[in-house]
Amino acid sequence: MTRGWHVAGGPVIPSFGRSSACERSNGWFCTDWLQHHWGDTLQPALVQHIELTLIAVGIGFAIASGLALVGFRWQLFDAPFGAFSDFLYTIPSLALFQLLVPITGIGVPTVEVALVSYTLFILYRNMIAGLKSVPEEAIEVARGMGFTRLQTFVKVELPLAAPAVIAGLRIATVSTISIATVAAFIIPQGLGEPIFTGIQQNLFRTEILAAGMLAVLLGLTADGLLALLQRVVTPWSRIR
Amino acid sequence: MVRKHTRRAAKAAFAVSLGVALLIGLVACGGGKKKTTTSTPAGGNNPKIVLGSKNFSEETLLGQLYGQALKVKGFPVTYKPSIGSSELIDTAITSGKINVYPEYTGIIALDLAKVKNAPKSAAATYQAAKKFEETRGLTLLDPTPFADTDTFTMLTSTAQKDGVTKMSDLSKLPSFSYAGYPECQTRITCILGMKQIYGLKHIKFVQLGTISVYTLLDEHKVDGGDGFSTDPQQLQSKYTALVDDKHIFGFQNVAPVVKQSLLSGPGGALLKQTLNDVSAKLTLKAMQQMNKAVVIDKQSVASVAKTFLQANGLA
Amino acid sequence: MSVLADNFTPSTFVDAFRFMGDNFSLLLTKAGETSELAFAALGVALLVALPLGLWLGHKHRGLFIALGTSTLGRALPSIALIAFFIALLGVGFWNILVALVVLGVPPILANAYFAIDGVDRDAVDAARGLGMSERQIVLRVELPLGLPLILAGVRIAAVFVIATATIASVAGGNGLGDIIVSQSDRNVGLPGVLAAALWVSAMALLTALVLALAQRAASRRMSPRT
Repeated sequence: MTRGWHVAGGPVIPSFGRSSACERSNGWFCTDWLQHHWGDTLQPALVQHIELTLIAVGIGFAIASGLALVGFRWQLFDAPFGAFSDFLYTIPSLALFQLLVPITGIGVPTVEVALVSYTLFILYRNMIAGLKSVPEEAIEVARGMGFTRLQTFVKVELPLAAPAVIAGLRIATVSTISIATVAAFIIPQGLGEPIFTGIQQNLFRTEILAAGMLAVLLGLTADGLLALLQRVVTPWSRIR
Repeated sequence: MVRKHTRRAAKAAFAVSLGVALLIGLVACGGGKKKTTTSTPAGGNNPKIVLGSKNFSEETLLGQLYGQALKVKGFPVTYKPSIGSSELIDTAITSGKINVYPEYTGIIALDLAKVKNAPKSAAATYQAAKKFEETRGLTLLDPTPFADTDTFTMLTSTAQKDGVTKMSDLSKLPSFSYAGYPECQTRITCILGMKQIYGLKHIKFVQLGTISVYTLLDEHKVDGGDGFSTDPQQLQSKYTALVDDKHIFGFQNVAPVVKQSLLSGPGGALLKQTLNDVSAKLTLKAMQQMNKAVVIDKQSVASVAKTFLQANGLA
Repeated sequence: MSVLADNFTPSTFVDAFRFMGDNFSLLLTKAGETSELAFAALGVALLVALPLGLWLGHKHRGLFIALGTSTLGRALPSIALIAFFIALLGVGFWNILVALVVLGVPPILANAYFAIDGVDRDAVDAARGLGMSERQIVLRVELPLGLPLILAGVRIAAVFVIATATIASVAGGNGLGDIIVSQSDRNVGLPGVLAAALWVSAMALLTALVLALAQRAASRRMSPRT
């Protein structure tokens, strides 16, 4: 373990291990690097990324649901809030992160606030659209059958609005996974971090490609899962 | 065509479950050797250390070297890596967000303290830096043997073509581009020094971001750039660092900046001893080899630090 | 947890505006660099995606392609794409442009497809009955009817490309992103970062607004004549 040079009176400088030929020539698929650094670099990044996404989508969904109910009832809220979230969504992610830093500091909260804002826009829009798409007749039929306002809402409107909501959830989740890579600019977490490190280290291809592909895999899987959910919830309509 | 529809659906469902299974497998296996670490159980009396480091690999390495050594001695250590530049991390320690971080003595003396007459030796620089920090409730522990200065690095081929060997020679050139970090523009140890002390007028500043200065040099995007003197690339004949004959880059040994309250409290003596023991081992050769292991040989910073500490009986 | 939150005071935003006043020409130059990159990329993306989308939509073929690129485009993280292309091609304006084009194509392609595919069949049949060639049908009938949706796609692509062009400065590009990442430059500081972030947002919003108005105008023109 300590075979190395010994400078008299100075420190022992051990051998740290050499890189493979693949790493030194900056290959795209250095399997030895991948094996060595899966546990300490790629896997933690992947787990952090999933965490960031789940928190953002979860909170965004909760807030959007509440706001959508309000906006659906009161047009006076819907118009300005719709415009406001539209506005937030257009702000480029790097800019939004930096604008939040003086307010929420450098840490996970800043990243989450920004990510939640982005999901909020997509989910709110889709929820409102979904609720508005419920046909009048369905509501009338329910009322005719003696349903109360609440029962109508829960048993008729929500299920009919569900497809649009899930479509929105799908888009929001995939977008969040993609935007969360930029978060590495603020805090060293998520799959963006190995990408940044890879760029710094003379554009180290294996690291960049591996982290990028993991992000894409994550996004596509989430999209696929939610598409399945969409199909389950709406057996009567064709999947779009 | 119901059959075609269900077959397509089945294929889609299969693809998705494959993706999910793959992801679960990826997330589960590998045994969570997380990069971020938290406290050790031992030593209830020892103060909590919040160790900050700046956003380049040598600083992260120094953070790991100090942090791992402290952990072994029973201090609970939390790391706060990637805190941007010296100006930013200085704000972090004065506002109490971190309580220890490794800094370069010349940066403190010249850029933070802004002493009027640049100190003429490494020792003088250290003293000036220490004096400055002590006016703010902080202090410096022992400095390392190695120093890591900024440089004016060029491709050797370009330097030979232009006939420059030292930085004063740059006045021969009508103009040149220099790649540096954003804070370079306002530092006397960087662009400001080149303008005021070397009298170089026509400098095109190219901002360094995530892309390494050596990449920019390789791709001929800049004439010269701020490579660090302990970068492993400096050992390659491909790159040359011009001689800093007017010493604008200063003397830059590393010393841990520590909150004075940590030293006067319980465990303070052990803290001081541990950090000083580590610093004593950090010679130029040691740092160059460790940097090489991280940058060229792609070893992880944490494992390089661990290997070094263990080889020297510090972990 | 938050390292710099204590630095925030309302005056930080005031300082940001002062920075804008003092450094107007710098901000303008940087904004120009970002625009150059973004709009060049958008132009190329339009050249590639629009004709393809129109043609596929007209033929009512390639739904899978349209959906696939749409999903894939959303799932591609911009940073990863930029990093990939500069690792492949080296650092430079055109290399980053390629990445931006790849990001801008999916929304335009998908929306163009759906726009044309969804045009009222009767209108198309009527045009065919009048003896119009396929090309004339696309240009004179389907395109005007599908314009609102197409413009919506262009708007999505534009915002996305501007956002990514900003990030590109991290990878050696030029533009307002340079200022956003230079907080440690004392000439810039937090006010400068805020100023640049506000400018970039304004750019994105302005572009979105213009395209939204165009979209509104296009759909109003297409409202049924009574």
